[in-house]
Amino acid sequence: MDRGPELEADSERRPNREVGAGVSLVLAAAVGGLFALATFLLLRRDLMRVVWGIAVVTQGANVYLLAMGGVVEGDHESVPVLVTHGGEVPVTADPVVQALVLTAIVISFGTTALALALTYRAYEENETMDIQQWE
Amino acid sequence: MQTTARVVVPIIVLVSVSLLLQGHNHPGGGFIAGVLTAVAFALLYAAYGLDYLDIGVLNRDVESGSGIFEQRTVRAYRRTFLLGLVLAVGSGLAAVALGAPFLAQTYRIVESVPIYHEIELASALAFDLGVYFVVVGALLTVISVVGGE
Amino acid sequence: MNQIVIAPLLVAVVAVVATLALGRRPALQRATSVAGAIVYAASVALLAWRVVLAPDAGPATYQSGGWPAPFGITLVADALSAFMLVLAATVGLWSVAVAVRVLDRENQRVFYHPLFHCMLLGVTGAFLTGDLFNLFVWFEVMLMASYVFVAFYGGAKHTAGAFRYLVPNVVGSAVMLLGIGGLYATVGTLNMADMARRLADPAAYGIDVAPVVGLSAFVLATFALKAGLVPFQFWVPSAYRAAPLPAAAMLAGVTKKVGIYAVIRLYFTVFAAAGLDGATLPGTGVGITGDSPLAFLGPVLLAMAVASIAVGGVGAVGRETVDELLAYSSIGQVGFIALPVALAASAPSGAVRRAAVAAALVYALHHALAKGLLFLSTATVRGATGTTRLSELGGLGQRSPVLSAAFLVGSLSLVGIPPLAGFFGKFLVFEVAARHFATVPTAAAAVPLAAALVGAVLTIVYITRTWIGGFWGTQTPQVGQATVDPVQVGLLAALAAVILAAGVAFDPVYRFATAAAEAALDRGAYVDLVDPAPGTTLLAAGTGAGGALGSSGGAARPDRAGERGAGTENGNRPADGGEGT
Repeated sequence: MDRGPELEADSERRPNREVGAGVSLVLAAAVGGLFALATFLLLRRDLMRVVWGIAVVTQGANVYLLAMGGVVEGDHESVPVLVTHGGEVPVTADPVVQALVLTAIVISFGTTALALALTYRAYEENETMDIQQWE
Repeated sequence: MQTTARVVVPIIVLVSVSLLLQGHNHPGGGFIAGVLTAVAFALLYAAYGLDYLDIGVLNRDVESGSGIFEQRTVRAYRRTFLLGLVLAVGSGLAAVALGAPFLAQTYRIVESVPIYHEIELASALAFDLGVYFVVVGALLTVISVVGGE
Repeated sequence: MNQIVIAPLLVAVVAVVATLALGRRPALQRATSVAGAIVYAASVALLAWRVVLAPDAGPATYQSGGWPAPFGITLVADALSAFMLVLAATVGLWSVAVAVRVLDRENQRVFYHPLFHCMLLGVTGAFLTGDLFNLFVWFEVMLMASYVFVAFYGGAKHTAGAFRYLVPNVVGSAVMLLGIGGLYATVGTLNMADMARRLADPAAYGIDVAPVVGLSAFVLATFALKAGLVPFQFWVPSAYRAAPLPAAAMLAGVTKKVGIYAVIRLYFTVFAAAGLDGATLPGTGVGITGDSPLAFLGPVLLAMAVASIAVGGVGAVGRETVDELLAYSSIGQVGFIALPVALAASAPSGAVRRAAVAAALVYALHHALAKGLLFLSTATVRGATGTTRLSELGGLGQRSPVLSAAFLVGSLSLVGIPPLAGFFGKFLVFEVAARHFATVPTAAAAVPLAAALVGAVLTIVYITRTWIGGFWGTQTPQVGQATVDPVQVGLLAALAAVILAAGVAFDPVYRFATAAAEAALDRGAYVDLVDPAPGTTLLAAGTGAGGALGSSGGAARPDRAGERGAGTENGNRPADGGEGT
């Protein structure tokens, strides 16, 4: 009987989870695809491809973060802003991960820009995009 | 391209400003508004060329000789970046100076303003404005420097 | 509110802006930068005083933006954070002072000083934050600055070095996000103290703790990458050689320690709370013996540490230039820091564990000072002679006795000669390894001790080689024509004196380190410090009534969630809701 309350809690939570089951599947496939693509790109000899790989791997991580939030039936606890803005509570995604992803996007944006600038310099210095012809 | 730019650029700038102003409790905010404004500028650059701002808008000659980093427009962009940084950090420090925690925000509803009747004036706007300037300044510096080479 | 907690961060931010604004007035910019570092050191000293040394000292927290934990981002200054900050401030102060003298004026003018303070800002934030995602953000701030440092000088080699540094770290950051996202989904919070609380009582929060081990492995991989532990060491030599040497002193002395700090903080303060009895790795049937993710950390980190000591030591012996040798050496030395951490993870009792963590911290401090001194001395040598190749150096001992003496102090500290700080570092590491062997006298338990011995011998070999090659013998033409800047030499001598003082007056240092280790291990104090309110009541509700209250952390605190009205998007994360449990 020790697990009684827990099981009850489980069954209470499960319908919430179901809302996002389809979404989760799509997200999982997207994350897998992005990481596979990124790995492939990062291992290329062409520097431009590597930069693409950097961009894709960070985006993959962002999509993963979104997936971790899940989609649940919202309530006033999970979306406190809605308390003051309209009474309806729609099906919502977790706001925390959205904020995380926003931050992560800004960071990946900066990193990708830096990588591009470096690529440009590397191209000017070596006149080639092929990593193996360096030095 | 130029026709499209003529129509689209004002709309983009307008949207970006509205995003900036409502950013403190609606979707939007300094970062995305800054990116949009920078996109508007980038569109102008793409449609009219890099010197359009100097010749077409501000009606002055493009400086020649010195490096792209020292050109008037790029210098202005860098100043914008710095201004934004000062604004953002300053807004955080102001809270500390007033005895509240760093980055603490508040808002005040200003009433009886013509047309709007009431405006919610949030102190977060200062921070957002700072972020906006940082993003605009940084992106335009990068765009014009990389575009110039 | 303890404004002092955030003071170092604010000083660093203001220094970034001020040095950026003064880009057109180089002399003033340099002065501001040094002044910024001094004020930073002063604020850190004040913080350390308030947290550890003062009679009524105690750890302090700071809720940025006024949002209460676990919703807002919490800054926590306990003894561990203070210890690491002192380390960062000391190395940073000397690094920027030497940089002002040694680097080309034109090179300094553009971005050096803003970047330096940006890096310091990232390091400070990482040491102070009590929020997992915020830790990631500060990591990125620090990394962004260090990327540019590595690519600071133009040239094919530097760009290549920067890429070798950038690409693995971007992948590392993505992996860290995987770990953080997974932990959030599993545990339902990002606040470290809240996470420790939930992991300690998973049933009350409806958490499955088994995934925490795997997810912690994600973040461990990233931290090991930042710390440059084998097998993630490949970026270290090219990056350190490419960066300006004073910046390399920061990279080797301070940013590497951030990885070590993160491992200690997350594993010992947070993850150790999770009880894992009987959990098995999915698919393999391999049981995780032991009661927490520490049981996983121990062997894995031990293997990394032993391999790092070997790779770093052997790599350093064969190098031709001093800076490359120091880069390899720091791979090995970080192994020495990780070794006691690994042993602490598998330590049987609390006292042993605390001694081991304290040993790691003392070694980290010693390595930051000694390696900082060596890199900065090398910067002076390169500034004076234009080279760091051992074959082109020689007779420096005659040319500049004081510079050589400073280098000697750094070297001897690295080797571990009393009464320098390095002696105690090595001594404590050996003590921990020996005690580990004494408790379980098996062949496997002798590995750490043997590795430490081999590492120490290798250190002696490569330090001797540097000394003989660079400082003894006849003067080469480069050395003969060199003019050594007396100000730089004075600065280096002062840093050498600090190392000597830390060794002679070791007792306060050790007490500080022990207090830091205590803070790292005392989960209850950490949790209470950050968020004292709900714990007990929530626990009672969870076990008593069950159901909705217990299943969701957020639901049990509507009062707090409701406080967040307008204005959630101002750089603060919106409310940490009840989702995810």
